[in-house]
Amino acid sequence: MIPFDFEYYKPASCKEAVSLFLELHDRGKQPLYYSGGTEIITMARLNQVYTEAVVDIKGIPECNVLEQQGEQLVFGGAITLAQIEESGMFPLLAKACHHIADHTSRCKITLGGNICGNIMYREAVLPALLTDSEVVIAGEDGLRQVSIHEVFDQQLQVKKGEFLVQLITEKRFADQPFFCEKKTKLDKIDYPLLTLAALKVDDQIRVALSGVCAFPFRQAAIERYLNHRESPAAERVDNALRQLPAPVLDDLLGSSGYRRFVLRNTLFDALEALEGAET
Amino acid sequence: MEKRISFKGGGSVKAIGLSVMRKEAANKVTGAATYTGDLAVPGLLHAKLLTSPFAHARIISIDTAEAKKMPGVRAIVTGRDIPILTGSPLEDRPIMAIDKTRYHGEPIAVVVADSEHEAMRACSQIKVDYEPLPVVNSPSEAILPDAPLVHEHLARYKQVKTVSPLPGTNIANHTKIHKGDIKQGWAECDVVVEASFSFPQTDHAAMETRCVQAEILPDGCVTIHASSQGPFIVKKTISKTFQIDMGKITVHTPLVGGGFGGKAAIQLELIAYAASKAVGGRRVKLVNSREEDMITSPVHIGLDAKVKLGCTKDGILKAAEITCYFDGGAYTDEGADISKVAALDCTGPYRVDNVKCDTYSMYTNHPYATAFRGYGHVELNFPIERTMDMLAEKLNMDPLELRLKNVIKPGDTNPSQAVLTKNAIGDLEKCLLGLKELMNWDEGRRRETVSGKVRAKGISCLWKTSITPTNASSGAIVTFNKDGSVNLNCGVVEIGQATKTVLAQMLAEKLKMDVNRVHVTMDVNTDVNPEHWKTVASCSAIMVGNAVLQAADDAIRQLQSTASIALRCAPEEVEIAEERAFLRHDPQVFVKLKDIAYGYMYANGNAVGGQVIGRGSYIMKHLTNIDQAAGTGVPGPEWTVGAQAVEVEFDPRTCTYELVTAVSVIDAGKVLNPKTAAGQVMGGMCMGLGLASREGFLYDDNGTVKNQQFRSYKLMRFGENPAYVVKFIETPKLDSPYGARSVGEHGIIGMPGALANSLSTAAQVNLNQLPLTPESIWRLKTEGDS
Repeated sequence: MIPFDFEYYKPASCKEAVSLFLELHDRGKQPLYYSGGTEIITMARLNQVYTEAVVDIKGIPECNVLEQQGEQLVFGGAITLAQIEESGMFPLLAKACHHIADHTSRCKITLGGNICGNIMYREAVLPALLTDSEVVIAGEDGLRQVSIHEVFDQQLQVKKGEFLVQLITEKRFADQPFFCEKKTKLDKIDYPLLTLAALKVDDQIRVALSGVCAFPFRQAAIERYLNHRESPAAERVDNALRQLPAPVLDDLLGSSGYRRFVLRNTLFDALEALEGAET
Repeated sequence: MEKRISFKGGGSVKAIGLSVMRKEAANKVTGAATYTGDLAVPGLLHAKLLTSPFAHARIISIDTAEAKKMPGVRAIVTGRDIPILTGSPLEDRPIMAIDKTRYHGEPIAVVVADSEHEAMRACSQIKVDYEPLPVVNSPSEAILPDAPLVHEHLARYKQVKTVSPLPGTNIANHTKIHKGDIKQGWAECDVVVEASFSFPQTDHAAMETRCVQAEILPDGCVTIHASSQGPFIVKKTISKTFQIDMGKITVHTPLVGGGFGGKAAIQLELIAYAASKAVGGRRVKLVNSREEDMITSPVHIGLDAKVKLGCTKDGILKAAEITCYFDGGAYTDEGADISKVAALDCTGPYRVDNVKCDTYSMYTNHPYATAFRGYGHVELNFPIERTMDMLAEKLNMDPLELRLKNVIKPGDTNPSQAVLTKNAIGDLEKCLLGLKELMNWDEGRRRETVSGKVRAKGISCLWKTSITPTNASSGAIVTFNKDGSVNLNCGVVEIGQATKTVLAQMLAEKLKMDVNRVHVTMDVNTDVNPEHWKTVASCSAIMVGNAVLQAADDAIRQLQSTASIALRCAPEEVEIAEERAFLRHDPQVFVKLKDIAYGYMYANGNAVGGQVIGRGSYIMKHLTNIDQAAGTGVPGPEWTVGAQAVEVEFDPRTCTYELVTAVSVIDAGKVLNPKTAAGQVMGGMCMGLGLASREGFLYDDNGTVKNQQFRSYKLMRFGENPAYVVKFIETPKLDSPYGARSVGEHGIIGMPGALANSLSTAAQVNLNQLPLTPESIWRLKTEGDS
């Protein structure tokens, strides 16, 4: 039971959505963009989210694109995680999405919602970070296409009223060797102790992590040490572990010490999977 | 070609021992079955609780002025409006918090409004001024001499049943066991082990959250609809608490979506009554959200325990010294009795001649504990079974061998010195030998696989009795329909355990008729169903079953009497089968039941006999009150025994594990319905493995619960389970229907011990704390060094 009333809008274009959102904002409605709705519904019933108006982006055609356009793969923000898995377009993204929640929820949770939501793990962004993908953002001045690295720092950094329309990834990455593992406290379905996504491009391993710190990240220094092939695997992993950008999480899912232990093991697994390196 | 088979007298009609599909199955699987929350009537009002965010705080003031002005609000009731203390066995609990709140989630106020969301909104407008108090955050903290007191006025509370609280402390109950001569016992021991154990409080996690509807009619009659395991206790408690004639109270309990003991407690019923009273008696519905169900309503007890066990060099147990501090939470409820029965059966199903045991139910600033599947036995089983394995290791003896040497047998006594007759106890040795074979025990307990993982097995033995009121009773009424089919009316709650189906099987077997022609009242209505004490303690099939058989005999006598007129013979010459009454020596001479169940009519219209109404009742026999000081008494009618095992695959590199197989061999006396019996045991095993591997409330330093939702409190999901194997052996209990023994709770009992034993064997560390997460194993193996 959601104890407060809110208005529901379903615009048909990006432009309409943005102007509606800003207007509602000006009227003090504390609007939220609404896509799959799983976070809004589950948190609103506990008063952890409050809004007086939601703007549903599922009626916007650009948000519902899921196709290959030339050499690019285009994923609309309103595409569900389950659709991404089923499309088979990008196995690494499919695997990262497959680890999120359960199947029933993945039929609702959308790519845009997972990347832009309040829950800090945002695992769907990991493949985008690894592939230097671009994102299409709708705002007051229309659509703009920018590198994910320009707008994603801990979370998507956009102005009031802006929202994620599409994620665009170069198709060539879809065929590269990858590794993607989610580790949990115990259960198959739980938030991650950590999710490690890795991709091998031009013989170099790229790594992005979620759940280790309070935000998902890809860290150049970690990759530099991991790719230092001259050194033994243990040294590469231990050096990489010293490059984390923020304190390791210490919470109900696991202590920071245990997370480091799991991360270390998972980094070895990634190296072994992508290089056949001895662990 | 139609073949005419002459009637042979019903000798081939069987119902007992068949996997009859449960009577309510079609309605449940199609979603048509009705639960308390589904009941809706025009004008129904909705109540919502405001609960405490603090684990321990003085309530300075509650301001409801703004909330009362909110749209749709009809009334707001706070604890001070109903200053009544309630609770069994000790009246220590206000209906809602009055001067202070003693746990996170405790009800502070209830809002009644036209809709649930209006009630919720008004709750957020109630202003409560709290002054936080120091918290008691574990049972071990609670026993410290300088611990804050959860209850300052313990001596003033009224005792309903015998409990031994110690005023000026946080001890809600203390039970002592002294059996044999403990000094002499230790003197006889060659090998002794001692260890400490603990596990946190957990949730019952029934699929249906607790729900109640209350209404007070203009004539003063009270109607309660409750999702409860004890509708007759609800009636009694409403009567006692609010001084209402019992005859004016009706409690309805439709199907209940799981309880596991949690719905035997009475809490929301009292709040809903007060809420209805505040709105002039209008019908009010109060339903727990999942989060409330987890901490506001009572939980499963936690435990800190110490066990010392000693034996001769040949492995014969000689002495046991056990101290348990239970985390009973803020109020006593069943915590006192759970700690009591844990003491009475403290050694587990082993013969130990010298026992000293002290169990304490401790007050803490945690949610309060109530009955939970296994009731005192699942809790003690884990420390005992772990200690048995540690003892076996020290003796360098196979742990199954050690258990076989010490299994309890007829003629032995339990720790409370009740003599265990052959009737009262099953055959544990046979269970263990069955388990040994099923687990392929002789291939070894620990082996490394080619992939570097470790396969390991662990076992445990279990027993359980109930601590039932010595005069607990049940009743049953058998009537007939005019087509000759039968109705069974009894007061047991159908809570997913299939008791109603099993009772129908008993009646069908007795009347030698098709079980599909036996109809059982599914919903309980305390006005019309004969009382059944409570649907708890795994004893419904046996208690009500005995009443059903007596009612069937009564009905048969009446049918024989009327039939004897129709068949012109003596009543004792009449036999009943396949809905006919016939001459024993000539079955072809018969009259159909439909023609005598409502009296027999002669050709000229004259009628004799009358409606057949069979009645039966049952009362517990030979139970004695427990002498708390001496630690003696006969707590329950029987001890079901069993042996269980778990096999895991452990990864030493990551400290993670998978459950491979879980096995139970239980002495069921007689398996009445193989599939539902196996289902009960498997359900219990699943609960036990969940408890052992992942469940547990987590508190912060202020005693607030951090994981009162399924996002963070994890239950075992389908697919995470091992392969379940359930085998029964049958040592009949002679005074039980068809020889059956209790099996409802037992599947859960040995699972934590068996899992902990298998993982301890796999990881080669002593795992004595639950839950057994990979991190907890890693911590023990590495002392937290990543």
